[in-house]
Amino acid sequence: MSKLVAEHVFKVFGRRPKEGVRRIQAGTDRDELRAEGTTAAVIDASFEVQQGEIFVVMGLSGSGKSTLLRTLNGLAQPTSGRVLFDGRDVSSLAAKDLRHLRSHRISMVFQHFALFPHRSVLDNAGYGLEVQGLPRQEREERAAQALELVGLAGWERSWPDELSGGMQQRVGLARALATDADLLLMDESFSALDPLIRRDMQDQLLTLQQRLRKTIVFITHDLNEAMRLGDRIAVMRDGRIVQIGTAQDILVDPASDYVASFVQDVDRSRVLTAASIMQKPPVAVDLSDPQCVTAHTDTPLAELLTPASRTRQPLAVVDDEGRLSGVIARDTLLAALGDQPVKEAHRA
Amino acid sequence: MPRIRLGNWAEDVVSWLTRHFSWLFDAVSSVVNHLYDGVEWVLGGPSPLLMAGILAALAFWMRGLPTALAAFAGFALIDGVAQWDQAMQSLSLVVVSAAVALLLAVPLGVWAARSRVASALVRPVLDVMQTLPAFVYLIPAIIFFSLGTVPAVIATIVFAMPVGVRMTELGIRQVDPELVEAADAFGTAPARTLLRVQLPLALPTIMAGVNQVIMLALSMVVIGGMVGAEGLGSTVFGAISQVDIGLGFEGGVSVVVLAVYLDRITGAMGEQVSALGRRTAARARTGGRLRGFAVLRYRPRPAVGLSCVVALALVAAGTGVFGGDGQPSAPVAAGSDVGKGRTVTIGSFNWDESIASANLWKAALDARGFKAAVKTYDPGAAFTGLARGDIDVLTDAWLPTTHAAYLKQYGKDYTDLGKWYERTSLEVAVPSYVKGVTTMADLKGRSKEFGGRIVGIEPGAGEMGLLKDKVLPGYGLDKDYRLVSSSTSGMLAELARDYAARKPVAVVLWSPHWAYSTYHLTKLSDPKSLWGPGDSIHDLANKASAARLPEVSSWMRGFHMTEPQLGSLEAAIQAAGQGNTAQGVRQWVAAHPGVLDTMAPVGAGG
Repeated sequence: MSKLVAEHVFKVFGRRPKEGVRRIQAGTDRDELRAEGTTAAVIDASFEVQQGEIFVVMGLSGSGKSTLLRTLNGLAQPTSGRVLFDGRDVSSLAAKDLRHLRSHRISMVFQHFALFPHRSVLDNAGYGLEVQGLPRQEREERAAQALELVGLAGWERSWPDELSGGMQQRVGLARALATDADLLLMDESFSALDPLIRRDMQDQLLTLQQRLRKTIVFITHDLNEAMRLGDRIAVMRDGRIVQIGTAQDILVDPASDYVASFVQDVDRSRVLTAASIMQKPPVAVDLSDPQCVTAHTDTPLAELLTPASRTRQPLAVVDDEGRLSGVIARDTLLAALGDQPVKEAHRA
Repeated sequence: MPRIRLGNWAEDVVSWLTRHFSWLFDAVSSVVNHLYDGVEWVLGGPSPLLMAGILAALAFWMRGLPTALAAFAGFALIDGVAQWDQAMQSLSLVVVSAAVALLLAVPLGVWAARSRVASALVRPVLDVMQTLPAFVYLIPAIIFFSLGTVPAVIATIVFAMPVGVRMTELGIRQVDPELVEAADAFGTAPARTLLRVQLPLALPTIMAGVNQVIMLALSMVVIGGMVGAEGLGSTVFGAISQVDIGLGFEGGVSVVVLAVYLDRITGAMGEQVSALGRRTAARARTGGRLRGFAVLRYRPRPAVGLSCVVALALVAAGTGVFGGDGQPSAPVAAGSDVGKGRTVTIGSFNWDESIASANLWKAALDARGFKAAVKTYDPGAAFTGLARGDIDVLTDAWLPTTHAAYLKQYGKDYTDLGKWYERTSLEVAVPSYVKGVTTMADLKGRSKEFGGRIVGIEPGAGEMGLLKDKVLPGYGLDKDYRLVSSSTSGMLAELARDYAARKPVAVVLWSPHWAYSTYHLTKLSDPKSLWGPGDSIHDLANKASAARLPEVSSWMRGFHMTEPQLGSLEAAIQAAGQGNTAQGVRQWVAAHPGVLDTMAPVGAGG
């Protein structure tokens, strides 16, 4: 069973939201509704997130991604449709049960950190535990552990405003991790950080994820971030999810011109892997041949260029067990790095 | 447009409230009175310098040595100008009013911040409270709560509370919505979000509101003086009405010292009570200007500061100065103890014959074993208080004209004890050095000399209307002279100024008035009798009081004074100086042997 399921979620703001949903379903244009003062923020969003997956929702500002995220923990009630978390309908929970869910099972990391300026770093990290009602000593121990996990050991007694942006967001992350929630909602959590620090934080999140195996829904407007972090990516435009797939699916097979134009500036050589462009071996390849150059299925294309330059033969692509999976000819490699989507290159 | 009887409705509401809710008003009144008495007992109990020390220690704790020294100097100054008791009374009034105002304002502000409907409801009410002139609700407040501290406290609360509500609402509304959402996202219950996130973050703004509430409360002190609240207000109010510039200045400076002290202390509290404020202050201090002068920067830790204050307070308690007794009452001659300790409250307003007659009666009644007290009010307040029985007797009712309105309204609650002075007159007066002007008619053709103006008093005074509508046109002066409205004290100040410069000046005046014994003035006679016959001055008693104090009633009925008597009494009081009224009266009584026996005859032969 999927950890988190969104079924035909609509979120419409305005005076008569239900009416808005009905009209959208009947085919009324979103801009037409907005002119009347009704905003359809999320339109018919459906997706499933598996346990342990990082699910990225990517879209430009105003695409409805933050609103969608808030329907997942009930901060925004869907106007129509439902959200199932572990099979329970989040939107039908009583206020008290919803609060319990938020304090124990789902936690959140915010764009501008949302640290409480009147609490020390330790008290911020332990906030969720305080809401859970844990005694002070246990709360502080676990908060300190969470801080250590994000690399902030020794900063417990500091105040949020004494920390750099990156460190503040680590406190935000520690606060979310401390409650031991199994679902993490991250709302543009790294967008307010400098590029270098953002990269550090992405790396740290991936490292943590290897250990913790949380289920994470991550919102971003940065395609490179989406590609780096996401096991799967949902692309949103004007309130609708226009494509869901892995980074490579989206690069290789964009669902629409919009997605295609969106992904055209992505550094393909770093996102696409050997597996995504390899072809069935036309002939048996002798892996023991010293002339034969091998590459792993997960190797990004950028790292194939040097090996490819050393041999005229196609590169042999091997899996984790060292078995042959496919081959990549030099022309295939070059075409894949070109501007055109890979599919078309193949056809050519 | 038909005349809308808004005023009548307001009056109806007030009388309806008085009839049906007097129990509630009495309860409120009693609570406020006890609060005030308690606070005043604590603040006013210790000897002035000790209390100044306690207040300075508080300043030391909150802000450090320089503020403490300045505070001590300021309070010593208040004691030095003999305003200590009044200052502590005012401080108590401010403390009680501000505390009650905040107790109401903060929850109201929280409510308004959390509900748009509440905010929309509360706002117009606050607007009215802030802008309605205090005098408008002071008189109903007296009707509801009787004279003295309570209406002053109520008026102060009405005036000072709105800013507390507004600042609380603002403070909570301006908490970063993302923080509230974060609290929400972690499953915080709404009440807890309020207590643990919104209020702490709003605290600096709320404390700025507290500071403003206290400052506004202090600014109402003078107005409180007009309805009989003790304190600096009555000092200043009294000084103003008697053009006593020196005393007014002393009272004013005392108000300023209190204001600055309260501002600095509450400002510092704003920093100390919130975690955010402490952090800001700590950062500011590390980069402070006073680097290198550790002594100036030193601030005791809370424990040390608190123990300083407590220790001094214990010393104060230990020396037994708390609740010290008032002045010992004068011995009462044997056989003349008619009063047997019964209390008589004599009302007066800051008119000289009122002060003189009220204090003369106090001396007479004290000598006969009563406990008499003279309380000074604004006239409107005094007549209202007399009707309610807060005042037993009022010695300065000008009838049948000047105070006719009060008699019309409250006449059934009064017993008229008859006239004791005949006859007052209204007139225009000029200095005697202006030659050739002795009647109103003589003003004709000399308007240039007088600058074309007659210096008047309050625009609402009956005398002003009479002069403008009847007397000036009657003598054909309305074209040549402009009647300038000001105030009684303004008119007297103008007279003093021009008199000193020997400039011709014409002022609106009345007799009896001390100005006639202070300056050489000519009352302009009124050959056409346009001013009408003058009023007589009556003693009025509250009906119930008259029955309770039959001796006093009968003595007052037999009481008369002539213009020279009254003039010399007023002059004696004036000569004794402000604050020494009783001494002035004693000297005058000593110079007029037998006067007490005439006023208050004892025994059959009396």
